[in-house]
Amino acid sequence: MNADQVVCGVALLVWGLIFFYLTRLERRIRELEKR
Amino acid sequence: MIARGILFVWIAVWTVIALVKAPLVPGLGGTTRVLYFHIPAAWVASIALAWSMGHSLLYLWRRRIEHDDHAASAAELGLVFCIGATITGSVWAKAVWHSWWNWDPRETSIFFVLLVYGAYLALRGSIEGEERRARLSAIYSAAAFVTVPFLMFIVPRIYFSLHPDPIINTSGKMHMDPLIRISFFAMLLGFTGLFAWMLSMRVRVLRLTRRIEAGAAAPALEGTV
Repeated sequence: MNADQVVCGVALLVWGLIFFYLTRLERRIRELEKR
Repeated sequence: MIARGILFVWIAVWTVIALVKAPLVPGLGGTTRVLYFHIPAAWVASIALAWSMGHSLLYLWRRRIEHDDHAASAAELGLVFCIGATITGSVWAKAVWHSWWNWDPRETSIFFVLLVYGAYLALRGSIEGEERRARLSAIYSAAAFVTVPFLMFIVPRIYFSLHPDPIINTSGKMHMDPLIRISFFAMLLGFTGLFAWMLSMRVRVLRLTRRIEAGAAAPALEGTV
């Protein structure tokens, strides 16, 4: 595995975590809006 | 939900193409990779601050609190993306200039933009009363945006800078490998989509907060009329 692939893996992991967090946040907002 | 999925796949796929498939810019070498995150972050910061200014003016004209929600949310996100651009720029500077921070005209300019909008958020936090806060913040935001084109586009072009040439250079042409160019614009689009999503969520949170505060205040107000 070369350096580019390692950087790419880290970037994808960070993006995945950000996306997961934002998706959970949006679900929570939707729940609160329904109340 | 489909739009979110498309956004996730879009950024993920173009990240792989940009970091693994696209060639490196001669002279920049491996630091080319920063380009795909640094410029889109700076681009989104500019859009966000312009959005904030636009809604501030709309608030001053129409006096509708929804415009204040948009102005405040966009300024917050603009600051977040501006910090992202500063960090990625600093990483690039360390690799190329061997120093995290050099007070280059671009670095100094972005530092002032951060200060101006940090002061905007501090101002918002210090004012009591929804209407007063919205009005004063709108005046500040509309005036503050005047500094953005000046600091981000004019100052770095007036003074000598070690920063690489803008993507679209003074002759109005782009000297880029086609795959770098496509990856770059795809990331620009992806970041803009991410900003739009985050903005809509932040505006909804502000609306919810107001609704909850109004709900909490209602029982306290009962019997006072």
